[in-house]
Amino acid sequence: MSTIQRLAYRVDRRSILRASVFAGAGFTLFAPIGFRAAARQDSFTIAFIQGVIGDNFYITMDCGARAMAESLGNITLDTQGPERFDQTLQTPILSAVVQTAPDAIMMAPNDSRGMIAPIQAAIDAGVPVLCVDTTIDSDIQLADVATDNLEGGRLAARGLAESIGGAGKVFVVNVTPGISTTDLREAGFRDAIENEFPDIEYLGQEYGNNDANVSAQLTAARLQSDPDLAGIFGTNLFSAQGAAAALREQGLQGQVKMVGFDAGPTQVQDLRSEVVDLLIAQHPGDIGEVAVQLLHDFLTTGTPPNPKELVTGATIVTRENIDDPEVARYLYVADCAAYELAGATAVPAASPEATPTA
Amino acid sequence: MALSAALARQPVLEARGINKHFGPVQALTEVNLSVFPGEVVALIGDNGAGKSTLINVLTGVLPLESGTILFNGEPVHFSSPHEARECGIETVYQDLAVAPHLDAVANIFLGRERRQPGIAGALGFLNNPLMRKETEEQLAKLRVRVPGLERRLVTLSGGQRQGVAVARAVMWASKVVIMDEPTAALGVAQTAMVLDLVRQVRDTGIPVVFISHNMPNVYQVADRIVVLRLGEIVTELDPKTTSIEDAVAAMTGSTRFVTKEVV
Amino acid sequence: MSGATETPSEADTSALPPRRPYLSRMSQSFTPVILLLIIIVFSLREGASFLNPRNFNDIIIDSSQLVVLTVGLTFVIITAGIDLSVGSVLILSSVVAAKVMIALSGTPQDIANFQFPTQQVGIPVGLLAGVVTGLICGVINGALITRLQMPSFIVTLGMLGIALGLGQLLSGGTSVPNVPPAVQSAIGLRELVGLEIGGQRVRITPPVVIAYGIALVAAVVLNRTRFGRYTYAIGSNAAASRRAGVNVNLHLVKIYALSGLLAGVAGAMDLMRFGTASVGSHQSDNLAAISASVIGGTSLFGGIGTIGGSVVGAFIPTVLRNGLVITRVQPFWQNVAIGMVLILAVYIDQRRRKAEERM
Repeated sequence: MSTIQRLAYRVDRRSILRASVFAGAGFTLFAPIGFRAAARQDSFTIAFIQGVIGDNFYITMDCGARAMAESLGNITLDTQGPERFDQTLQTPILSAVVQTAPDAIMMAPNDSRGMIAPIQAAIDAGVPVLCVDTTIDSDIQLADVATDNLEGGRLAARGLAESIGGAGKVFVVNVTPGISTTDLREAGFRDAIENEFPDIEYLGQEYGNNDANVSAQLTAARLQSDPDLAGIFGTNLFSAQGAAAALREQGLQGQVKMVGFDAGPTQVQDLRSEVVDLLIAQHPGDIGEVAVQLLHDFLTTGTPPNPKELVTGATIVTRENIDDPEVARYLYVADCAAYELAGATAVPAASPEATPTA
Repeated sequence: MALSAALARQPVLEARGINKHFGPVQALTEVNLSVFPGEVVALIGDNGAGKSTLINVLTGVLPLESGTILFNGEPVHFSSPHEARECGIETVYQDLAVAPHLDAVANIFLGRERRQPGIAGALGFLNNPLMRKETEEQLAKLRVRVPGLERRLVTLSGGQRQGVAVARAVMWASKVVIMDEPTAALGVAQTAMVLDLVRQVRDTGIPVVFISHNMPNVYQVADRIVVLRLGEIVTELDPKTTSIEDAVAAMTGSTRFVTKEVV
Repeated sequence: MSGATETPSEADTSALPPRRPYLSRMSQSFTPVILLLIIIVFSLREGASFLNPRNFNDIIIDSSQLVVLTVGLTFVIITAGIDLSVGSVLILSSVVAAKVMIALSGTPQDIANFQFPTQQVGIPVGLLAGVVTGLICGVINGALITRLQMPSFIVTLGMLGIALGLGQLLSGGTSVPNVPPAVQSAIGLRELVGLEIGGQRVRITPPVVIAYGIALVAAVVLNRTRFGRYTYAIGSNAAASRRAGVNVNLHLVKIYALSGLLAGVAGAMDLMRFGTASVGSHQSDNLAAISASVIGGTSLFGGIGTIGGSVVGAFIPTVLRNGLVITRVQPFWQNVAIGMVLILAVYIDQRRRKAEERM
């Protein structure tokens, strides 16, 4: 806050006291504080609304954003988020954040349709919005920064193909139909298997409903029909954990190779304890860094990002490479102490290559 | 004169040969009971003698197994307490059947709400002032005082709540009032109020069936005492010529009563 | 009794001023004071960021669906029952509404091209289908509870799973795509009344009118009609109500039907507000509505509660979270603060009530 704003803030507080004494109703009307002309400022507030709070993926994204904000020097970051991935919980948070009159908002919308109107309302209130990770079916947002999940799926296919020696049957435990990110992972996986590995047979996917128990049952059933299964790709945490549990119960751990997605502490633990054999780590820290950089550039120059859709990469993590600093820095963190600024950049979404660092 | 005397001797409510089983337990055996206008009939008996069961059968709470119930000389069949109420038989139940979160007027008119005239009434809008007025008028006529008619019963004492329950029964009863242990939870002064009320109701010509464990109370108000033991009516006592000891003996079946009766 | 044979204790209580039983019951509650305190604290701390018309407009809009659910729950809880299924019924209703709306708004070819030639028919019929879906779920709840003599907790817990599962089945487990955007742009976001206050636009939209209109009608019904009287009577003493000639079972079916109907309305409002039926949302709405009702002074034991109190109860968590976000409090602390205020509000309310009652 600038000195002038702070002064205005004090005045407002005092006049509210006075006004509520007189009005008695406790409801007085003021113009919002700190409406500012973009390029005239020397410091900015960016609000980050996570998809859900307490998730290592978004925490790491927050760390990336904070690291970038600190390095830029003139950005204050305010992080909020709903306790569940639910548009009806995220909408009031967005409304409240708009009331704090940030210079820009970066957020992971909880629903691609449902969040359009609330985001439009924020934009109408004069706050630009940039989407990170998830997005909306619209073009009102300033830009999108997300993982290339299609490429992540391809990476999973390549990593799994290598660990099973390029031949055998593989199948996918997915979450539920209709989730764009996990559906893209499966699509990328299928695409790479079918086009790059003629000796691998793709058995298709099952939906585990984001439930480890259901995922385990599905995997056990698949092992009955295809006892010679060579590899499984679980498209998120519970899909992979469930599939791995089924393998362990049948004594097939290590024989059937498992690929999981994401690299939070739980997944890394699973990798180290040989529950899964490979992880595909997204780069949420990079997403945060890129988003803050883009917003900073926009706020200082007034030029919107071009292109509007940017993707960050993904990394194959194995037990062999996990301690390699180049890989380790992509593991998700539980707090920002462990996070170092990467100076990440993103590439336009149209580009076929994501930046694999396998 | 003869005609009115004959009418006076016709029971308002009469039970003939009532039997009731709960599984293998015979709760009532061939019970006969007549209630005449302008009298207080006390129904006494030990715990489990069948007093409440008899009342519940008479008022339609429990279904009738065998026997006949006559109302004004006509056989009737009450399949719910509501039907008995429709005939003018009001009951104050032992378990204090009031809604404690409603006020006295709402309790008194529960199930008989007065609605506003016209469309508002058709939509179910209540006429609270009218209900309050009718309550006040009726209670004044009976010379009953219920404190705080518009206060919810939870804010009243147990005695005051019982007063509401009794007042409700008295207000609506046009033929018979049945009171199942109305004084059980009450203090001395409140008990006196209820007994006074019982006499007043009787004096209007409406008979009261009064069930109680409390023998002094029974002897204070009853014109006639019917004794139940193990589901059977064992005797009928006249409070003017018998004592509380006689009643206790009859209830418990001890020898003293038998001896005295024989002598 | 004849004359004035009253004991001193009775004279004491009858000397208390008589209370208007229904109208003033809410004012006996402490909850509005807590809401006011929260507003005052945030206003002093945050100034115009919190205390401005637009923010309160947002809070009112954001609370609209919860208010509708809370009204239904208040009726249910006053009868000493519970309805855990409202959030799921909301989801099922919104999915049914969306599916019907899409089916009637054009041919599959049209829809694929995002064209909705017959949406004038599709949208109203779809919304109505959502409301009717809720009503049916509610009638089933009520019928099972009264006919099978089952606890409402169990029946509505079952319905929670059934409605959610059916919603997931119908939608394929995801947000329903291709809902005609007009349901949102022409209905949900339509500005019925727009006021310019202090340079800010305050909008009264159909969801606001629906929600607070329902609350107003419900308050009148509960206070002034026989339906409301029976609702309190059954919650207070169901056996006594039955003996007094109240058709308790029929009334309970109506109560659960009302709760389902209102969940259906809230489901239709979901389409209006968000333009999509999302099965991932609303899964804790049942607890939110129950706690709003209880914070507002409704007793889980039945017989006590008001619509006004429940609406205030619905606002407390919303206003608290709004203020804490504006204060930039870390999200996890927000849950702690909200939980503490809930307990405090109910505790104070109970103390006050116990002091008044003799039971």
